[in-house]
Parts: sequence; C-alpha cells; structure tokens
Amino acid sequence: MKRYVYINDDNLAQDIYCDNRISNRKYTIWNFLPKNLWEQFSRFMNQYFLLIACLQLWSLITPVNPASTWGPLIFIFAVSASKEAWDDYNRYLSDKKANEKEVWIVRQGIRKLIQAQDICIGNIVWLRENDEVPCDLVLLGTADPQGFCYVETAALDGETDLKTRSIPSACMGIDVDLLHKIKGVIECPSPDKDIRRFDANMRLFPPFLDNDVFPLTIKNTLLQSCYLRNTEWACGVAVYTGNQTKLGMCRGIPEPKLTAVDAMIDKLTGAIFVFQIVVVIVLGIAGNVWKDTEGRKLWYVRYPKEGPWYELLVIPLRFELLCSIMIPISIKVSLDLVKSLYAKFIDWDDQMVDPETGIRSNATNTAISEDLGQVEYILTDKTGTLTENKMIFKRCCISGRFYGNESGDALTDAQLLNAVSTGSADVIQFLKVMAICNTVIPVRSKSGTISYKALSQDEEALVCAAARLRMVFENKNGNILDINFNASPLRYEVLDTLEFTSDRKRMSVVVRDCQSGEIFLLSKGADETILPLTFSGQQVRTFAEAVEQYAQMGLRTLCLAWRKLEEGEYQEWASMFKEANSTLVDREWRVAEVCQRLEHDLEILGVAAIEDRLQEGVPETIETLRKAGINFWMLTGDKMNTAIQIALSCNFVSPEPKGQLLIIDGKTEDEVCRSLERVLLTTRITESEPKDVAFVVDGWALEIALKHYRKAFTELAILSRTAICCRVTPSQKAQLVELLKLCDYRTLAIGDGGNDVRMIQQADIGVGISGREGLQAARAADYSIGKFRFLKRLILVHGRYSYNRTAFLSQYSFYKSLLICFIQIFSSFISGVSGTSLFNSVSLMAYNVFYTSVPVLVSVLDKDLSERTVMQHPQILFYCQAGRLLNPSTFAGWFGRSLFHAIVVFVITIHSYAFEKSEMEEVAMVALSGCIWLQAFVVALETNSFTILQHLAIWGNLLGFYVINWIVSAIPASGMYTIMFRLCKQPSYWITMILIVATGMGPVLALKYLRYTYRSSKINILQQAERLGGPILSLGIIEPQSRSSLDKDLAPLSITQPKNRTSVYEPLLSESPSATRRSIGPAQRFDYFQSQSPLTSTHTRKDN
Amino acid sequence: MISDGSSQPSNKVSRKPTYSRFTQQDLPAWKPVLTPALVIATLICLAIIFIPIGLLSLSASENVVEVVDRYDDACIPSTNQKVGFIKDPATNKTCIRSLTIPKKMRKPIYVYYQLDNFYQNHRRYVKSRNDRQLWNPKAESSTSKCDPEEKTGDGKPIVPCGLVAWSLFNDTYMLSKNDAALPINKKDIAWSSDRTHKFSPNVYPKNFQNGTLIGGGKLDESIPMSQQEDLMVWMRTAALPTFRKLYGKIETDLEANERITVTIQNNYNTYSFDGKKKLVVSTTTWIGGKNDFIGRMYLAVGGTSLVFAIIFSLLYAFKPRPLGNPSYLSWNKTTT
Repeated sequence: MKRYVYINDDNLAQDIYCDNRISNRKYTIWNFLPKNLWEQFSRFMNQYFLLIACLQLWSLITPVNPASTWGPLIFIFAVSASKEAWDDYNRYLSDKKANEKEVWIVRQGIRKLIQAQDICIGNIVWLRENDEVPCDLVLLGTADPQGFCYVETAALDGETDLKTRSIPSACMGIDVDLLHKIKGVIECPSPDKDIRRFDANMRLFPPFLDNDVFPLTIKNTLLQSCYLRNTEWACGVAVYTGNQTKLGMCRGIPEPKLTAVDAMIDKLTGAIFVFQIVVVIVLGIAGNVWKDTEGRKLWYVRYPKEGPWYELLVIPLRFELLCSIMIPISIKVSLDLVKSLYAKFIDWDDQMVDPETGIRSNATNTAISEDLGQVEYILTDKTGTLTENKMIFKRCCISGRFYGNESGDALTDAQLLNAVSTGSADVIQFLKVMAICNTVIPVRSKSGTISYKALSQDEEALVCAAARLRMVFENKNGNILDINFNASPLRYEVLDTLEFTSDRKRMSVVVRDCQSGEIFLLSKGADETILPLTFSGQQVRTFAEAVEQYAQMGLRTLCLAWRKLEEGEYQEWASMFKEANSTLVDREWRVAEVCQRLEHDLEILGVAAIEDRLQEGVPETIETLRKAGINFWMLTGDKMNTAIQIALSCNFVSPEPKGQLLIIDGKTEDEVCRSLERVLLTTRITESEPKDVAFVVDGWALEIALKHYRKAFTELAILSRTAICCRVTPSQKAQLVELLKLCDYRTLAIGDGGNDVRMIQQADIGVGISGREGLQAARAADYSIGKFRFLKRLILVHGRYSYNRTAFLSQYSFYKSLLICFIQIFSSFISGVSGTSLFNSVSLMAYNVFYTSVPVLVSVLDKDLSERTVMQHPQILFYCQAGRLLNPSTFAGWFGRSLFHAIVVFVITIHSYAFEKSEMEEVAMVALSGCIWLQAFVVALETNSFTILQHLAIWGNLLGFYVINWIVSAIPASGMYTIMFRLCKQPSYWITMILIVATGMGPVLALKYLRYTYRSSKINILQQAERLGGPILSLGIIEPQSRSSLDKDLAPLSITQPKNRTSVYEPLLSESPSATRRSIGPAQRFDYFQSQSPLTSTHTRKDN
Repeated sequence: MISDGSSQPSNKVSRKPTYSRFTQQDLPAWKPVLTPALVIATLICLAIIFIPIGLLSLSASENVVEVVDRYDDACIPSTNQKVGFIKDPATNKTCIRSLTIPKKMRKPIYVYYQLDNFYQNHRRYVKSRNDRQLWNPKAESSTSKCDPEEKTGDGKPIVPCGLVAWSLFNDTYMLSKNDAALPINKKDIAWSSDRTHKFSPNVYPKNFQNGTLIGGGKLDESIPMSQQEDLMVWMRTAALPTFRKLYGKIETDLEANERITVTIQNNYNTYSFDGKKKLVVSTTTWIGGKNDFIGRMYLAVGGTSLVFAIIFSLLYAFKPRPLGNPSYLSWNKTTT
C-alpha cells in the first residue's frame, strides 16, 4: 500500500486520509457504558460475582435477598467506572488542548493560522523555534542555508540529544517565498509505527524541478511531538496526520502493572475458590442424600414427589450462593482505597521534598506501593541519578603539568591563573579549544550576563570554565565567533563542524582566525579516540597517565587537541566533506570517513577533567539498601573507568580486599565467551565467601552475551549481587530489566533521563528522578522523586509499611469472610443441609460493608516498627522481600483462625441459646455479635500501634454495630424488630459475648505470646527493643561505624540462621556464614586488571 | 542539552499540603508490648473474673427446677402403625401422664413443649410464610413465598398461608393437681411485639386447614390474629432442630413431691420422622432456663487461664528470655 501526497494542493480533496485530530480516548459518550462494563466483566472476579448475583435472582435457591450482592456489586462497578470516566475525560481535555493548538499552514498560497486538528495531508506547515511538531512532516525548507534543522525527539524515542534533520536535496535552495507555491507529489508507505524508517520518494512539479524522483529518508522528516530547536523556522508538508502518525501508531496503553502482592492475593483467591467448590460439592451431595433419606419423611416440609429436572442442582446451587461470601467482594475496593492512601502518604511526605527545588515526591501509579517493599534488584542509571549531573570543570593537565589538587579545583589553582595571566602559549591554546571547539550558543541577557545553551553538559562546563579563566566566548553570529581573552577580542570563523557521534566519540571544528587567516582544526574527545591520532613523536604518556589518574577520581575526561591546516589541504578536504555531506546513501558513514581524513597528526594540548558530583547521601543510601538485601546494578552509558570509580565512591562496590571486580569484555564472540566463563567460574568459587563480587560488562560484550550466551549470563546475573554495565544503550537497559524479571526478581529501575524511559517502563517499579535532564523519566515513571537518597525512605518506609498493611488487610478480609461463611456452613448441618441462611440479608450485607471494613481500613495507619528502627535495621526488609507476611502458610494461619473462631461462635451460641431461647433471629444475632466482637479483638491484637484513629475505629465500630442494629430493630417492618433490644436486656447475652471473646481470643493470645517471646521473629525483637527502650538506643549509636566491635561481644551467643531457603519465599539476602577471607592484594586498589585479558587494554581500541 | 525551563511543571512545587501529623504518619501512638507480666496478669484477671461468674451461672442453673417428660412413645399404642394411628382423626388420642415435682417451684412456672428432630429451620419450611398478610388486612391475597400452602384448591387465599402456620403444633395439655384442675394461663405467652406489630387485630384466619391435606392445628376463624398466641409462638421459628416453645404459665407455686397429672391430647405427628415430644415444666432465673453450659464453660475458661498463667510464670522463671535483645538479630552476627 502506498499513499500519494500532493503537496499544497487545495483543490484535490484529500478526504481519504484522516484529519489531524488526535484521540487518546478509550471511550465516547455513547459507548462508555457498554464498553466499560464489558471491560470490567472481562475480569474473572467480576464475572464470578455477576454470576452469583444473577443466581440470587432465582428465589428458589437464594438464601438471602439479592440486594445483598447486587448492592455492593453495583457500588464497586460504579466506583471503577467513574474512575475510568474521569481518566478518560482528562485524556479528552489534553487531546483537545493539542488539537486546538494553533499552527501556521499555507492555504491558497497564503499563510494562515488554523487549529492543529484541521491540518490535512499535503498542507504545508510552518514551525518556529521551540514549536511542537503537530503531525508527521517532510521537511521542505529551514532557516539554515544548508538546509539543516535541529529537533528534540525525546517524546518519541527518549533520546535527549538534539538530532539534525535536513531538507531533501530537491528543495535545496528554494526561496522562502516560493515555498508557498511549491507543488509536487510524495509517494510514501502506509502509516506504520517504525520511527526509524521512512522510505519515500518525492517529485516536484514544474516550475521547480521535474521528472526527477528524489529519495526521502527519516532524516528528511519532522515527526509528531518532536520539538524544533536552535532553528529559526522550518516548514514541511504533512504526510501522516492524527492517529496515523508514527507516534500515534506507536502509542499503546501501557500494561497495568500487577504487584507481587496482587498476584499472591489472586492465587489465594483461586485457592479459596477451589475450596469453595469442594465445599459446595460435598454439601450439595450431602444435602441431596439427606433430602432423600430424611427430608422426605418430614411431612411439614412437603417435598413434592416429582421434582423438576434441575432438582438435584438446587441444593448445590444454594450452597454455592451461601458460600459465595467466602470470596470477599469488598477486598478490591478496600485494597484500592488503601493503595491510594499509600500513594498519598508518599505525596505528602515532607521528608522526601527536594530542598533545592521544593519538588515533592509523587506516586503516579497508585497501585504498586507494596512492590516497593519487595524490591530485590535496583537498576540505576549513573549520570543524574547517582550524580547530580552538574558538570564542573575540576582538573586539567596541560602539557604535562597538572592543575588542580585536593584543596581546590583547577579554576582556583594559582599556578594556572598565573599561567593564564602570563600568557603561556599552551595554556592559551588549551583555553581556546575549550571555548571554540563546541556547538554552544552564547545568549546575552538584558543585564549583560552571558549564559550558554549547550547540547551537552560537558561542553557547557568547558565553556564556562574557559570564561572563568578569562577566555570568554561572547557571541556567535552565524559562523563568526567572538572571543574575549583578557579584554582583547579575538574573532574566528567556523568553517566546518565535524559533529560528535557516539561512534566517533570526538568532535572537531575547523576555524579560521580572522586576523591572521590561518586555519586550525580543533578537536576534543574521549582519550581512546584522540590519543591514537597524535602526530608521531608526541609523547602521550603523561596524558594517558592524567586520564588514568582523573578517571580514578571518578572524573570524566576529555582530551583536547589541535592542528594547523594548510589552506590547500583544507580546500581539498572541504570539497570532499561537502560531497560526503550530500551523498544519499550511507551518508553518516561517508562523513565519518571524511572527517577521519582530517583528524590526524593532532597535537595534544591537554586533558580536561570534569566532575559530575555525587548526589548527597548516595553512598549511605546504597549501603542501607544493600543491607536490606537489595542488589544493585548500575547501567550507564558512560565509560568503564568512570563508571567503576563512581561505583567505588558511592559504596556501590567495595574496594579490595573486600570486593572484587570481574570484567567481561572482548570484541568477538569467542573472547566474550571465554571472559564470561572465567567470570562465572570465579563468581561460583567466591559465592560462599563474604566477599562482594561484582562484574563489569560493556555494551558491546553485553550485546554478544545476551545474544549468544544468555544462559550463562543469566546464571551470572543471579549469582552476582552487583553489576556495572557501561556503554549500554537504552534498549539494552530494558533488556537487562527483562532478563532479571524473567528470573522472577522484583526489579526497580531508577533513572532521570530520556534514555532511561524504556528501562523504567519495563521494570516492575519505575522511579524517575525529576532531574536536570528533564522530566521524561519522571513522567514515564511510577514514582518520581527529587533525589536518589529518597529511594531509601521510599523503599524502607513507604514500601515496607505498604506491604505489611496490605498483607494484613487482604488476609484479614479473607478471615472475616471465611468466619461468617463457616458459621453458615455449620448451621446448615443443624438445618437439614437444606441451605438455610442463618443470618438475614441485612446482617450479611452490613457485615462486609460496615461492621468489618472500618476497623481494618485504619490498619493503613499501623506501624509495626518506627521509621527510625527500620532505617537502623534495614535488614528487616527481608520479611517483605521474602513475602513472609503474605504467603500460603500465613494464609493457612488465618484460615485456621477463622475456622477456630467459627467453631467457637457457633458452638457457644447454639449451646447457650438452646431450647426455649432458640428463636432464629435471636440466635443469628447472637452469632453475628460474637463475630463482631471477635473481629474487633482480632484487629486489636494484630495492631502494633494504636493511634487515636485506631481506637475510634475499632471500638467505635463495635458501638456502631449496636447502634445500627438498634435502629434496624426499631423498624416494625424489619424481620429483626425488637430483637436487639430484647437481647441487650438479657444478662445471658452479655455473658455469652464475654465467653465468646475469651474462648476465641485466649488461645490466639497465648500462641502469639509464646511466639513473641520464645520464637520471636526479627520484627518482634526489634519491636521489643524499640518499645522497651533498652539496647536499641545503644545499638543505634554504634551502628554502623563500630559494628565489628559489637560483633565480637555478641559472638558467643548462638542462634541458628535460616539455612534451607526455598526459592519462592526467600530473597537473596546474603547472610553467608563467616568464612576464610581470601585476600589478594594489600592495596586498596581494584584488581579488575586481574581478570582482564592482557590482549585488550584501553589503547588498542582503535576506531571502530 | 538545552535546559528548557518551560517544560518544568510549576504546579508541583506549589502543591504543598500543610504539615500535619496525619499526613506524615506521625500520630502519637500507643504501642503495647506483650511482656510476660502483661500476659500473665491478663490471664490471672481472666481467671479471677471467669471463675466466680461461672459459679454464679452454675448455681443459677442449679436453682432452676425442671421436669421433663417425654410422652411421644408412651402415648401411642405399641403397634407398628404409629403413623396410621396419629393420622386417623377417629382414634382417641387422650393420654394421661403423671409428673412428680422434685423441688419446690415458685411461680411463675412455665410449661413448654419440646420437639426433637424437628427442622423448623429447614429452608423449604422457614421461607414458606408471608408476614405482610398477617399484619395488613388488605394484603390477605399476598400469598407469594407461601408455596406450597398458598391457596385452597379453588384458588382462595389461605390466611395465614405457608407451611409454618399450616404445621401448627396441636397437642394440648390439661394439668391437674390432686384431682383439682391446675389452670394454665395461655395469655401473653407470645412476644408482645408480635401481638402489637406483627399479628394484626383486624386479620382473621381464613380458609385455614381447609384443604385435602391437613397439617397441624386449626385456628378459630372468629378470633383475630393478634390473639392467636399459640400461632405466634409457633411462627417464631427455631434455629435448632431441638427446641422448646412456651405452652403456658402456671400462676401458683408447686411444692416438692407434689404429683401432677397431665392429660395430653396427642395429636401432633412426629412419628413419621422419629421426632420426640416432651412436656417441660420449669422455672427460670436471671440466666433463663436450666442451662449448665455457660457456667461450665466459664469455669473451664477461667481454670485454663489460671493453668496457663502458672505455666507461663514457670516458663518465665526457669527459661527467661530477655525481650528485644538485638543479639538475636542474625545479621548482627555475620562478620563482614
């Protein structure tokens, strides 16, 4: 399928293509109800409840009023539907904003301002700088005489660097006014979602050019939602519009994330469902047998002799309805409610506010807070996440002299200042390269101060530093640069810019000194790409050493070099360059090749070292979280040495001899394979040792490893607690997340830039840092925080509490439902297994909706341990990670408890309300009160900290139960008329209640006490320590500095450690027993060279 | 990268809620610890409260004088045709029983009939009634839910409809002491709320027990529902298959060893389903009729609490375990 776009043709009605109205809406007003209902009913739980509700309409089998199911069901549906409607309305508003944005287009040869939604295919759209591209365009013209323009594609692919787009060669040189009248046809493929391809042809009609088909590529397009940058204007013809744009085709609703807790609840629900079916079948058979043996003898029941064909089904179906309350219909609503409160607590938290910007932490995804408490792997970006992404020029090495030291950076180094003022030639040349060799644009504000707009933070840092050293880059006027050095103006003309690409890893400019007319090539770039290009004879050893030394300090290094060009040489090269720049096939490669012809025989001027400072609190955060049993992986696009040094300085890896770094590298499959196997072997050996083994892999080797040695790499990933992946691409980051997720680990990805977006979306939890690289990451993320150090609080406090609370709430919901259901089942044995409901409809409905939901909802305020204790003992997170508080065995405990309580309530009720007191309504109400009393005490016993709200909810709810029942008992029409008043007047009622509570809670209390004291979990110990105020205080002071001395004192106390770990409920908490420590080197240096193959050193890496 | 100030949403900064202890999850909280002292004290308190209450309940139950006489097997000829006998309207079903009062019984003395193995809570049965009909004279034809006892064969609504009313218990008891009749007061035996708000004075029984199949007792159609107290008592369905229902009250004291003769009209059929019928003459106390269960349970719970309090104390004395000792934290032991 092809589409033909006639440029600027107003006569041809091109209605066959859609207009530019974007719509992200899921619903319209008309289809909202059916579509939303359909979606809700596609969930199993809802289908189940609907089936139950429909069955209840059949009065033959319903034990209770159908309203007791329909009411909550409709309520739940209404809540979800209104939430969906609200979201969709917001999407509609944002669509509307985008659709009604005004853009300039050409109609009948005149520029007109119209709304974005009215753009048709073939219209010419004019954009100004910083405009958002309203639809997919093919460029026709730009302000740049060479036909270039810059776009920011972050919204499309997450890459934050500016990309160059050029006009097709056919349109080269067309006058601005003529662009209004341009006519032609573009033959392009049908809309697709590939944002890297656009294979089309263009033919212009006379009088422009004729009979010549020009190929178009993605380089000639401006895609929807990109921003035009650094270009005054651009215009293009609309080829794809509305939802058919590349972005529109890519757009998909991200899969809703399901937390591990949710998955576990689903599993438990499934188990309960199976149990329910078993109960129904057993009781159904028993009921039918009883009916045929005993029931037919009961003349007063008058069973008909011939039943209808479905007679055998009636009793099982009745029990199905009776038992349907086993699965609490309210659990989803209460979970949603508490989850949004967890999210609010994160939003509200004053301790997670960025003090500099005042930006609060924000939970965009309100549904996954529990997962925060179960994180096992954190995959973190480096730049901007661990570091501040504030580049500061720190050190430099100019012609063998090192400037800047521990006491101060290079800018304050007296020697350097001295050299600048005395006019040392090398230093001045160095500064010139710093100031000129870049794509920075100086902007002079009204007050006269100069600020710099730069594509990269590094360049900005260099230019700023140069300005501080009196080499001020003042103005850029077209190709003319004005530099002011020591108040004497210098002027250079930029002849060519040899752009930076990630392959070349360097950039150069060719400039002409306007005074002398001399031509220079100024280059800067990574050491491995610059150092091999020196003229033969220059000693690069000092520079290599400087690079090494700076990298050790965690600084980013750039080598600066220059060369004087002869006029002839330049002219010859310039024509080649121009030619290469206008090639149609493989342009980038050709350009790179041509560039390389010029970049040789450089003279290295020096090395500039730029610091990207660590964020505050990063080492402490990493150390705390690692104690909590969380494994860290660092995924960075930066180079290996820098990454390792940053890793060292932020506790990411420990220095020798505690830690060991293993490097996986290699250029070919074989090398990577050997390296990987060696690392794997070492890791296996050292696994039993208390040693932090980390592996380092670069993007290239990772690519090979993931492709060919996935299994080995996965094994390594499981074994190794720490990894550093450098030089990785955004998609590799996402692949690594995927890999860990496949191994069943809970992953959290944290990053700040557009290149982290994919990893953030891929991970179980995505955390974005609202940092300097913009907000793409924060927008895509589930949580956005201002600083890396807030992660500690997010996980240990919010995540942990959320998990604990949800674990309690969900199990409690099942407990209370099972409790009342068991009583119904027991009572069916004394009512001839006929499926009578002991409780009336009002009680059953109110039991779930009022009596038992309020006290448990305030469990969102419960704190088992204080925040301080958790921070001091992050290891306690283990319980959450391992899912110790919500798993089949804890659930079995709750199941047993509900069974026991049901027996207690039932037996005591039928014995104390026997004979003359056995009136049905009274017995039912006694049993119900028993349940209410018990559940109040169960909540109280399971509550760890009682705030005023908890007291109000628990005891107020008990009172509320009586108030509600008194009100219902006052209505003559209700079946319960006067019942509650009668009961409350009987001493035996109150005695029975006390008996039920004591019998039900006594064993639970005793068991809890025994466990608490003699089998105490770590949480219990910390609770006791915290609340009794004893040793914890001293522990808090000495932790963590002098932990070793504490260890010595406590060594004789024996406690067995959990040994047999099952893979399911235990995380990778390294509690390895003390073993002999293998020490390799005495120095505090890394032994990463140890495993590095001698063949590959840094300098043998020539250009790719 | 170009720092584009406009892309930073500014509303995030301004949206700062005022500090409150609630939003910071910092409300003052009471954090109890299950210390041995607390638990042992609780158990002892439990014992101290429960044992006296148990003794009190037991003695109350002991003070109840209760005479139970099963008559269903005695009041029928020992033939194999029990069901035939009871169903035959022509047979003489009078039966004379004699009871001995074991202890002095103070008025009011309650006369109950007790049915065993009678499922008043059977689903088919318990649902088969219509309460609207009993209260609203205009709703006499609302016999829905009353299946299979809604209407007579010719389609007239039955008042009161349904199986519950239809199966009304119809044995009668005549008591006499020393050949003098001992009157049984059958007034006010039903709940007063039933008389005033459930069973209307303006509704009269209609077409009741007129069908081919006769269930239990019949009703006098000239007496309004609000005075049919036997029916009210019967229609307060029991939750258990063994239940007692009030037959009447004796307003005089009975002395110990007095003999009471009961003339029973043994009409009600419990033979087809092996049900038992018992006559119960009983006094009450503050906890109701004779019921040892509560007292025994209280003693048991109190006693168990005491035992556990002792066990826990001994455990605490011989195997003390300091609470909250951080050395029990395994991670404090791993040497690093």
